[in-house]
Amino acid sequence: MNARQHYGRAAEEAAARYLIKAGWRLLGRNVRVGRGELDIVARRGPVLAFVEVKARRTHTCGAPEDAVGAAKRRQVARLAELWLAARPWALKGIDEVRFDIVAVDSSAFPSTLRHLPAAFTLDR
Amino acid sequence: MLASIASEALSGLEGKPVQVEADVVAAAPAFSIVGLPDAAVQESRERVRAAIVNSAYAFPSRRITVNLAPADLRKEGPSFDLPIALAFLVATGQASDGCDGRGPLAALGELGLDGTLRPVAGALALAESVRRRGVRGLILPAANAAEAALVAGLEVYPARTLAEAVTQLAAGGGAAAPPADLSALLGSRPASDADFADIMGQEQAKRALEVAVAGAHNVLMSGPPGAGKTMLARRLPSIMPPLTLDEAIEVTRIYSVAGLLPQDRALITQRPFRAPHHTISSPGLVGGGGTPRPGEVSLAHLGVLFLDEFAEFRLSALEGLRQPLEDGEVTISRRLMSLTFPARIMLVAAMNPCPCGYLGDRDRDCTCPAHRVRQYASRLSGPLLDRIDLRLEVPRVPPQDRRGGAHGDSSTTVRARVAAAREHQLARLAGSGVYANAHMSARNLRRLCSLDADATALLDKAYERLRLSARACDRVIRVAQTIADLEAAPRINSAHVAESLSYRIRSRFDR
Repeated sequence: MNARQHYGRAAEEAAARYLIKAGWRLLGRNVRVGRGELDIVARRGPVLAFVEVKARRTHTCGAPEDAVGAAKRRQVARLAELWLAARPWALKGIDEVRFDIVAVDSSAFPSTLRHLPAAFTLDR
Repeated sequence: MLASIASEALSGLEGKPVQVEADVVAAAPAFSIVGLPDAAVQESRERVRAAIVNSAYAFPSRRITVNLAPADLRKEGPSFDLPIALAFLVATGQASDGCDGRGPLAALGELGLDGTLRPVAGALALAESVRRRGVRGLILPAANAAEAALVAGLEVYPARTLAEAVTQLAAGGGAAAPPADLSALLGSRPASDADFADIMGQEQAKRALEVAVAGAHNVLMSGPPGAGKTMLARRLPSIMPPLTLDEAIEVTRIYSVAGLLPQDRALITQRPFRAPHHTISSPGLVGGGGTPRPGEVSLAHLGVLFLDEFAEFRLSALEGLRQPLEDGEVTISRRLMSLTFPARIMLVAAMNPCPCGYLGDRDRDCTCPAHRVRQYASRLSGPLLDRIDLRLEVPRVPPQDRRGGAHGDSSTTVRARVAAAREHQLARLAGSGVYANAHMSARNLRRLCSLDADATALLDKAYERLRLSARACDRVIRVAQTIADLEAAPRINSAHVAESLSYRIRSRFDR
């Protein structure tokens, strides 16, 4: 694992700790669905969230949450649908399904973490 | 959860019933609209989302599917914002369509991002369609309420915001807007500052225009530049008879669909006067576009279409006038649909007799070569000229006529005579669907117009000698009938026919 991968792992770790502290139950981390991977699948009460974690060390290419582009959103949404399709029971008691982003920003010390609930939807 | 709200789609000048269904389920979040929506309806998602959040309702993250039924009818424009938002709020349990057991309401309107309701085009036609399908009432933007209130027997519930619309829907409507006071609306008539008495001389032309307006006949004026053709035409609205209620509603429907209804007037009470520039395209004049929209001929419905510099118009545009001039309507076919718009107009055309403008002038020579004069005149085809009942020459005013104070009757006097003549026509044509002699069908012409023996003899002679077409002959009778109506004469006599013929025969136009 190189330095960049280490940083990414650390960011995902921080995101997971943050969500657990905020009362979320993690149903899976780095869940492989077919060829892709969902960073975090979490549940809190009637809400099911597919969380994309994005970390940036500088703002030279913009804030981390802006780096989740259209292609990435489509990918996350498609993987989420596949994940749900394989687990019909997962929607039991669920009222809302969301795509969230957790942005880890290390452009200043110490790093900050932002949770963007329902950051995007899959509109057709 | 599933919810459904009644709404309307605009198709030409008619509303078509549409049912807006919303299905909201807990699944991967997405907001899709199906049912042949165009771009404006697709963008409705963003307006609805913002309006709901900014009206302090919740927009839960769920899968939202909106269906606009019937799915084979093309849906256009922003008027589905409100029914989509209401269906969503009902489906998510944030609003009730209970209507207190009084039967459902239909809804339409455009939403702003802050939840305010904006007016939509064609509200009158849409409201009429709601009434026809038997829905008892309609929630719509307050700015459209006065227009919709013209529809008898429909409860109109104006709303300024999404929140007000939700309240109306739950309660089955609060206080309905009062039905429009039609006679008061019809009575309000803006004053015109142009008067027929402004025009010096031109007594013949004024008489001819009075006859033309009295029966809504088509006119072609020809004369040198500056003789007063445009001035005469611009003063036509001041002598035109007021619109009847039925006519006013027909005109208002067209203006509403075209988005040209003035903000402060629910009902158009003045006859239209349209004067498009001669560079206008054929679709601009007769109507057109991917989804056909009314053109100038339809906007001039029951009023005047004034074409200045008649010979300068594109040939395709001029020839496109043939159908509306004959049938009083225009049918526009496009890939997706074919629509018919009403176009019962009085055509008023003005032109110079030749390219330099001075052919036949009293004291100035025409400088045009003969072939140019022929070429100029030949731009107007026989079939088109055949549809013009009155052709008059408007010469330069001689100096003695330019002096003195009084110049014939004022517009008020002329309008009174015209209105009286129209009364006779309305009585005669009652129930036939037309309101003026010019639009009388050939069958009604035989049935309703009676000529005395002298008149018949004169007409037969003219038919032979002048080689009039059968259509031209009918048109001569229509004008003669109008002249008789101006005199309140019970039958058409030979003097009426003679005057009518004098307007038709102008050698310059008859090559």
